[in-house]
Amino acid sequence: MLLGTLIYGFVNSTILALVAMGFNLTFGISGVANFAYGATYIFSGFLVWILLNSLGVPYFFSVVIAVICAALLGFLIYYVVILRVKGLALSEVMATFGLGLAIMELFRYFDFVGFRYTLPVFFDGSISIGDVYIDYQRLAIALIAMALTLFIYLFTHHTRIGLAFRAIAQDERTALTFGINSDRIGALSMAFGSALAAVAAIVILPLGTIAVEGGYDVLINALAVCIVGGLGSTMGILVASVMIGFAQTFTANYLEPHWMMLVSLIAIAVVLVVKPSGLFSHQKELEERI
Amino acid sequence: MLKVNNLMVFFENALALNDFSMEVKEGQIVGVIGSNSAGKTTLMNTLSGLIVDMRIKEIRRGGERITLYGKILFRDEDITATGPSERVRKGIVLCRERHPIFPESDVFENLKIAGYLQKRSMVLEMIQYVFELFPALAQLKSRKAGFMSGGEQQMLAIGMALVARPTLLLLDEPLLGLSPMMQNLLVDAVKSLRAKAGITVLLSEQFARPVLPIIDFGYILENGMLTLTGTGEELMENPEVKAAYFGV
Ligand SMILES: Nc1ncnc2c1ncn2[C@@H]1O[C@H](COP(=O)(O)OP(=O)(O)OP(=O)(O)O)[C@@H](O)[C@H]1O
Ligand SMILES: [Mg+2]
Repeated sequence: MLLGTLIYGFVNSTILALVAMGFNLTFGISGVANFAYGATYIFSGFLVWILLNSLGVPYFFSVVIAVICAALLGFLIYYVVILRVKGLALSEVMATFGLGLAIMELFRYFDFVGFRYTLPVFFDGSISIGDVYIDYQRLAIALIAMALTLFIYLFTHHTRIGLAFRAIAQDERTALTFGINSDRIGALSMAFGSALAAVAAIVILPLGTIAVEGGYDVLINALAVCIVGGLGSTMGILVASVMIGFAQTFTANYLEPHWMMLVSLIAIAVVLVVKPSGLFSHQKELEERI
Repeated sequence: MLKVNNLMVFFENALALNDFSMEVKEGQIVGVIGSNSAGKTTLMNTLSGLIVDMRIKEIRRGGERITLYGKILFRDEDITATGPSERVRKGIVLCRERHPIFPESDVFENLKIAGYLQKRSMVLEMIQYVFELFPALAQLKSRKAGFMSGGEQQMLAIGMALVARPTLLLLDEPLLGLSPMMQNLLVDAVKSLRAKAGITVLLSEQFARPVLPIIDFGYILENGMLTLTGTGEELMENPEVKAAYFGV
């Protein structure tokens, strides 16, 4: 039982990290908290489903199209909505949250509800570690989360756009003096973050069904991880994912599975009361933000 | 090369620059001297186009109104409304006041970021040039910029502006808060920029003493207004300038 809880706790941590990654990236670079993030996640899931099942597009292309569409959606939301209220944090949150609500509830309105909305796993089957069985999909999630972390690090340190991301995150006005266009980079960071939401959806959703409520859970989990870790700090995200991930799994296994989301909500509430800047924000002063 | 005609800049209702005109000729080193809040930074931000961006962002935020009158001509082209990245492309590069660097990036990465608009091979070439100009920086290549001293940061900031390949380099108070030795080093560097790389320089300073000897032409700015102009020597001989700006 304990070994199983530890393994599933670890997998759950990587799921949380994967879910928080895109939200954190956009915030770290442009300072925008994208509350349409959960909606983007669900949108990508349904889009893959529609491409696969209604249009008969092969899996690989469905996935690629969904990631590109999510990125475009993020880019558009930034240019059409966020830029008009940029700098007014409350308006940014209201606008993105409102849009997210509209997207998610539209799916509900058009009857995207039920058990038939599932995405295929990458590989069927499972392996055993000791006497604990774990399916290949969960292993794939852990591997992909780690690979993406590495990819983001390499991208932000070794590409032109990535370096511009880091510049805008650190000092927007100075970045402008080198010809870096802050609006374009902000929109690209939103596109990148939304694409990550799509990747998370494609990897994680095969574990269950695609449901509108899942969008709210994803947003809450991403917020919980980012708030506990200190918004914008990569190290904080990883540590917070592990903390919340294990707390959730222990709660589900030893107390009550329904209380899993409660862990995230309590974590948000406690951290906001005790240390609103996040548990790891003190390390952020001279540390990577993205 | 650069002509500024009757420039006026308002922040809300406060006048930061009042009917200011100036000219920078190709190959010159020109200085703008003024005490605190004279309007030096406002002028530099206006010339680099930052103010165009500030203005747009203020409008989005529904805050302070920035108003601009007058004309800026660069190589006879009106650039008054041109944004900052377009001006960098044209060769106007600003090094902002108080050593603006990216504190969480190391020296090499700072220089790479500055080469955003340049070709990769050109960036490496320019970084090599910066390391020749400031050998001390080459030693600190992988040091986090936030951990460097003020003087080191200022060398880096100027180096970064150079990687963006200016034809007109704007330096806002490059000597601020530096030791006399460091000031001399930077002044020599500016002279060599003009002599060896053919870069035209417009710099602003509070204190006249270190810069008057190297400038071809100077403008004295007080409360946003032009009060005196002249060549470096003329200004150095001027008793008013001596009284007001030579107390280091
Ligand atoms: N963003 C702004 N909003 C409102 N007022 C401003 C703004 N920027 C500058 N000012 C005002 O414009 C005037 C000129 O300021 P500026 O920063 O150009 O002076 P400066 O010569 O660079 O001074 P310093 O030597 O202190 O750097 C000041 O009175 C300042 O208060
Ligand atoms: Mg100033």
